[in-house]
Order: sequence, then C-alpha cells, then structure tokens
Amino acid sequence: MIRTAEMRGAFFFVTPATLLTLTILAVPLFYIFYNSVGGAGLSLAAFRDLLSSGLFLRTLATTVIIAVSSAVLSLVLGYIIALHLTRQPPKRRSIYMMLVLLPFWTSVLVKCYAFTVLLGRAGLVNEFLSWVAGSPVQLELVLNRIGVLIGMTNYLTPFVVFPILASLLAIDPAVYRAATVMGAGPVRIFFTVTLPLSLPGIIAALSSVMVMGLGFFVIPALLGGPRDAMLSNLVDFYTRETLDWNMASAAGVLLLGLVVLVTVPLTILRKRKA
Amino acid sequence: MLIRQISDSASRRYRLLGTTLASLVYLFLLLPIVIVVPIAFGPTNGIAFPPESYSLDLFRLFLSSSDWIGPLLQSLKVAVISTVVVLLVGVPAAYGIARFQFPGKVVIAGAMMSSLVIPTIVTALGLYLYFSYLRITGTTFAIVLGHVIFTMPYVLVMMIAGVQKLDQNLEFGAQLMGATRLRMFRTVVLPQLVPSLIGATLFAFLISFDEVVISWFLAGPTTATLPVKMYSAIKWEISPVIAAVSTMLTAISLVVCLIMVALQKTTPSNG
Repeated sequence: MIRTAEMRGAFFFVTPATLLTLTILAVPLFYIFYNSVGGAGLSLAAFRDLLSSGLFLRTLATTVIIAVSSAVLSLVLGYIIALHLTRQPPKRRSIYMMLVLLPFWTSVLVKCYAFTVLLGRAGLVNEFLSWVAGSPVQLELVLNRIGVLIGMTNYLTPFVVFPILASLLAIDPAVYRAATVMGAGPVRIFFTVTLPLSLPGIIAALSSVMVMGLGFFVIPALLGGPRDAMLSNLVDFYTRETLDWNMASAAGVLLLGLVVLVTVPLTILRKRKA
Repeated sequence: MLIRQISDSASRRYRLLGTTLASLVYLFLLLPIVIVVPIAFGPTNGIAFPPESYSLDLFRLFLSSSDWIGPLLQSLKVAVISTVVVLLVGVPAAYGIARFQFPGKVVIAGAMMSSLVIPTIVTALGLYLYFSYLRITGTTFAIVLGHVIFTMPYVLVMMIAGVQKLDQNLEFGAQLMGATRLRMFRTVVLPQLVPSLIGATLFAFLISFDEVVISWFLAGPTTATLPVKMYSAIKWEISPVIAAVSTMLTAISLVVCLIMVALQKTTPSNG
C-alpha cells in the first residue's frame, strides 16, 4: 500500500525529469519510428529498400564484425589489466587505477588524432619499425580496418576493466588458497577458479562494450576507410548526404533493434548469474 | 602467506608474465594521450616527433584564431548551461527515485537511464528530426537539450548512490519539525550530498564538453562546439593545431580525474 504523502513526495521530486525525458527523449524516438514507416502512410518501403540494398547489408556485416572483434580484443586486454590490479595492495592499486581512469576520461577525438599521427604512413610506429628493420617500412595502419580495430579496442578497454575488477575482487581469497593446497597450478587455477567466478563481470563488460561498439560513429569515420563505415555512419550519410530521412530512420530503427537483440540475452544471463 | 610458501617458481613466472602483459596494455592505453603533448609544444609548420624546437606557438595559434576560439567558447557555454539544467532536474529526481515508492517507478527510472543503452546516433537522429520539425536545429538551445538528456543517466547513477548512503532519520526529523519538503531538501539533504554533487557536476560537464555525435547533428555553422570543429578538422586536414587542442582537453580530463580520485578517498564508506 502506497501512502498518499509518499506519492506526493515522489511526484514533487520526479516530475520535472520525467517530463523532460518524455519530451526530449521519448518523443524524438517516436519520431524515428514514425519516419521509418514513411510518416502516417505506414509503409515499409524504407525497410524494404534497405534490406535489398547492397550498401546496407555490407554495412550491417561490417558493423557486426567490427563490434564483435573489438569487444573480444578489449575483453582480453581489459582482463589482463583487471587481473594485474587485483593483485596489487589497495594503495598501489589506486595509483595504477589512474592509468585506466585517465584514458577513460579522455576525449575520443584526442585518441583519434593521436592514432592518425602514430599510425600514419610516416607515423611513429612505421618510423620505429623502419629503424628496427633497418629499411623503410610503410605499413597501412590507419584509414582501414586495422586502424578502426586499434582505435575501438583502445577506447573500449577501460570500460571492460571496471566490471571485471569488481567481480575479481569479490572472489574469496580462501578459494585460491584451497585450490593451491589441493595442488592446482596457476594455469589450472585461472581456468577453473578465476575465470568462472569472474563471469558476471565478463558478461557485464561484454554487454556494455557491445552496445558501444555497435553504435560507434567517430572512430570508423576518422580511423577507417570507406569500406569500414558502420551503421552509425550510414545513418549520418542518409541524413546529411542524401537527405533521405525515411532511410536514415529505418537504418536507425534496425541499429536499435540490433542493440536490443544483443543486450537482452546478456542482461537475462547476468540476472540469472547474480 | 600460505600461498607464498607453497607457490613455486612456475607461479612466479606467470606473475611476471602477467605484469609484463599488463604493462604493455597500460602503454597502449596511455600512448595516444602522451604522444600529443610534445607535438603541441612543437613548431607550427608540421607534425614531427620529437619536434625540432619547442614553443607555445600552436597554443597561441589555437587561442588567437576565431576558427577555434568560437567553438571553444561555445563548448564552454553549452557545457555550463547543460550541467546546471541537468543538476536542477536530475538531483531531485535521483532523490525521489532513491527515497520513494510509486507506481511506474521502474519504467520511469528506466526511461531516464535509457540514453545509456540507445546508440548515440539514434538519439541524435531522433533529436535532429524532432528539432527540425520544431525549427530549432542549429540553436544552442537544441544542443543544450540534447546534452541534458545525454548526461542525465550519469547524474542519476551518481546521485542515487549518494542519497542511499544518507541517514533518512535526519530527513524525517526535519519534516517532523515542520520543514516543507523543499526546505528539508535544501537544508538537510543537499548539504550532505556535496561530494556526490561535485562528482556529478564534473561528470556532466566533461561529458557535455567532449560530446561529438549529438552536437554534430544539432549544431549549425555558428553554433559548432569544439568537438564538432575538431571532428571536421581531423577528417579534412591534419593540422598541428589539433595537438594543442588535444593537449588542453587532456589537461582538463586529468584535472577531473584527479578530483574524482580525491573525492573517492574522502568518502569513508569506500571499501
């Protein structure tokens, strides 16, 4: 039973934010759905055109491939850092944490600019490799798939560290002691104790990294070539270049659908583990 | 202790391997941030590393060209206004969500947080279509509204966590003594929330200041923010001035990061 005083209190505090969310978020989202079916005409032409367009299907495939590969790469890198942080005494851990927090807080544009400088044809990485090899090396590391994957992995890794660190720190040290006493080696302990017990953190990290990865816009636009355009870039293309708002909206709806398709099972899995 | 005694050289080797790998990953994360700083203090005629000479010329160029100073001021304006608005709306909402039970709470709170899971481009497109209909695209007002919606979840998460740590009896006491709801909120709740408020303010400010996608869709030629200007600058011409801009952005991030860490240390319940 909810008391009226409680209701009035809630109403007083929550109403402004609710109204704002309705008018500035819910209505715009409705607009996308509305435009995707061609307004009041309720036609699925835009979806039909999209699903029969080679450009869209290619972009969809690129999006999934880039999102999945950068998710896997960032999970591996993030896990390495989280394990390292877990083993530090609390004081030193907070110092190492800064090395993750600073990139976490740094603008994606700063990273993209830095990577164009680092990975360019005459960039630092190629210069270094030329010096090592003793002959000029000019690897194509940017404005292609490699550039996008490097940039996305770099961006996503800090987001992986926090949830995995939390679940690693929650493991009772007695479990490790027991495993060691029973004669398990470090590799066996990792695969039979650490990894399974950190699964909730891995799933949490995976779902946030997939949501971000599927919707990425800046990194494929700045570090990728024309063949690395993702769905977000396609939405931008339809909106600004071809001025086809119905197609842009339909592509937006399908992107949103893709994100839901990936996150809902992960969320259910996470709830079940918790 | 026991682990130490039992562990043999094999486990020490794995530990060394782990530390080495972790160092490489730290390097990978930090390299792009570190690399722009020396370039920013280099000459204006090209990007070289390490630069042949050091000067403040690029910063002078950045702060004296109207191409850059306009977007910088615009970004500051947008970030300040959206931070004020999102705090005015989000802090009471966080309190209401943390303290009261009401029908539809899960749906309402979920809707407020939903911009976290909606791809930013979708939010941006929706706002663009809606604001085009209202004929306000290209205005600062439109960008501010977009940023308020975008930063709302972060403010809510931070403030809900802050409210949950408070002792509710103080609030009951104030209301028993006859304080109105607004007065109780202002004089009892807010003062105790100062650390969370500082955190939420910094979070909202920095996210708005660095936001690209929504601004890219909503800004017009006269209302472009610094990230919008930077995005097109990186896309079309790799000018060394961008290194100076990047260094300034990184310095801001570093300051925010340090304040956040200091705040966490002052919170006693930090386990």
